[in-house]
Amino acid sequence: MKRRLSAGNYLVLLCAFAFFVVPMIAAIEFSLRGDQGTTHGLSNYRWILAQEGFGANLFTSARLAAITAILVLLLMVPTIVYLHLGGARWKRIIEFICLVPLVVPVISYAMGVATAMPIFLQSTVYELSFLYVIVTMPYTYRALDVGLSSIPLLTLVEASKSAGATMRQTLVLVVMPSIRSAINGAIFLSVALALGEFTLAVLLHWDTFPTWINNVAQSNVLGAVSLSVFSLVGAWLVVLVVAVGPKSKHSDQNQEA
Amino acid sequence: MSNQHGISVNLQGVTKTYGTVVALNNFNLDIAPGELVALLGPSGCGKTTALRILAGLDTQHSGQILVDGKDIVGVPANKRNMGMVFQAYSLFPTMTVLENIAYGMRVRHISKEKQVARANELLELVGLQETGKRLSHQLSGGQQQRVALARALAIEPSVLLLDEPLSALDAQVRTQLRDEIKRIQTEVGTTTLFVTHDQEEAMAIADRVGVMRHGVLEQCASPQAVYLNPINVSVAKFVGAMNLLPAVVTTNNELEIYGQSVGWRNPDGLTARSGRALVRPEQLLLGSPTTDRPANAIVTNQTFLGPLTRISAKVMSDGNTLHVEMPSIEASDYPIGKNVVVTIQATSVLLDA
Ligand SMILES: Nc1ncnc2c1ncn2[C@@H]1O[C@H](COP(=O)(O)OP(=O)(O)OP(=O)(O)O)[C@@H](O)[C@H]1O
Ligand SMILES: [Mg+2]
Repeated sequence: MKRRLSAGNYLVLLCAFAFFVVPMIAAIEFSLRGDQGTTHGLSNYRWILAQEGFGANLFTSARLAAITAILVLLLMVPTIVYLHLGGARWKRIIEFICLVPLVVPVISYAMGVATAMPIFLQSTVYELSFLYVIVTMPYTYRALDVGLSSIPLLTLVEASKSAGATMRQTLVLVVMPSIRSAINGAIFLSVALALGEFTLAVLLHWDTFPTWINNVAQSNVLGAVSLSVFSLVGAWLVVLVVAVGPKSKHSDQNQEA
Repeated sequence: MSNQHGISVNLQGVTKTYGTVVALNNFNLDIAPGELVALLGPSGCGKTTALRILAGLDTQHSGQILVDGKDIVGVPANKRNMGMVFQAYSLFPTMTVLENIAYGMRVRHISKEKQVARANELLELVGLQETGKRLSHQLSGGQQQRVALARALAIEPSVLLLDEPLSALDAQVRTQLRDEIKRIQTEVGTTTLFVTHDQEEAMAIADRVGVMRHGVLEQCASPQAVYLNPINVSVAKFVGAMNLLPAVVTTNNELEIYGQSVGWRNPDGLTARSGRALVRPEQLLLGSPTTDRPANAIVTNQTFLGPLTRISAKVMSDGNTLHVEMPSIEASDYPIGKNVVVTIQATSVLLDA
């Protein structure tokens, strides 16, 4: 019963694919040029690695990404599970709150931090993670909400409870594994944002990987393109690690042992 | 692994309302140690509510719940040590069959070896040795419910709670698994509350059947007693098929039904002098008319039910249709269109005013 794709469908797919891929190929090609475009090689990438602060800033952003992802899961999973388990009357308001970051300009977060965030947080770069959690809420909320809607959550939670599990055990052992792909999605969204976010970092005067790219790219166009290819590939690697890495241990046991 | 002694359960005056709906109304139920009680009743009568309150998944507004003589009101569901099997498939989708069964032991931090040993033991008890490494979506519905039963038993529950565990299964699997649940329950001796709206299932499996209506337990007695001596009209009408025949109370306090006198009882304390008598299909006999007993009905239909045949007959005097059940081998004597004599063979029928 598989539907066959018509020639027209293929044409559309092909165009979309080309639209997506051609600029990337061009960028990769460009980033490999050296010496006024007469030779190809990895010289631009070597140049990146040689720039001062590459490792340190990348590491900062990676930590921010990890913390953002953890905070998102800690905050959003229990909240949305609660909404699905009888907290329905809060659903409208929480949904609304999660949409607000889409319409609030980033600059007002920066102002808000200065006036309202506890000083001990303001003094570390990790304050950015808290802001990133807020900025990603519209997306992570959707991803997790859809995931939880797709499983018989109430039955699973009650089965787990009556088997003797605490709510924490239920979340970790039953609920989170059942919505793995939604959780992967939320992690990916928050990591991607934390690795690429520029405005807040600049406004709050922190050095992160994106601000560092901005600085070093001023002086070297080829290097700047190489950097963006590098970031792109890096983001893909994160996707791969999140989606495939901690593979569910049963996916290869589908045939009976 | 059996806990042969079982544990007693008493629900006393339990009341639960949802808004204006009274789901349980001063509900009383005592279950003896090791007993299997089936709660039977029409949809919405509060069966699931009673079970969930016992499990701690819902909270009653008033009333006491004693398990082994101790009040467990306020004890959260995960501390009540009750095994539950749900109507909907409820296996954890990311765990194998064995992991599902071992789950209750895992969250209790019981050692891995013990978990595996006991999970295998239970898998054998429910007859699914071969499937331990499968995921739930690789099992049939009947197999999933067996695993759910094994999972519920794995924690050595003080009480086993089953909420229509068979209703999603087809007829054949249902009867088979029903008998198996009974066997396993007898073997492990766990006090069990089984909710169903299927009369046959309740009768077949239970030591006692509790018939519910509008949040009240109307009668809780052996299957035979509920069927043969229903405590009131509503239980009688709900359990098994009934003919409703016009009846009048005579001066010597018998019922007159189609010219015959029949003994009756009046548990509901009726004051009305006429109404409809409740007579089971097997309490009606058909015969051929004789000169003393002229025909009073005519056969209009025959339904073959296997060993029994249900014959419908139209009463000549008022046009009512009666249903009579008789062994199929005798049914050929009463073809459609035959004039017959209907005799009521009952001693203490109920009257519905
Ligand atoms: N969460 C709820 N909110 C509001 N009303 C409820 C809720 N749960 C049950 N009820 C109501 O309480 C009454 C008893 O429900 P219950 O689920 O116990 O019935 P039941 O006997 O199990 O029925 P069924 O055979 O259909 O499962 C019903 O009228 C139902 O509508
Ligand atoms: Mg129910």
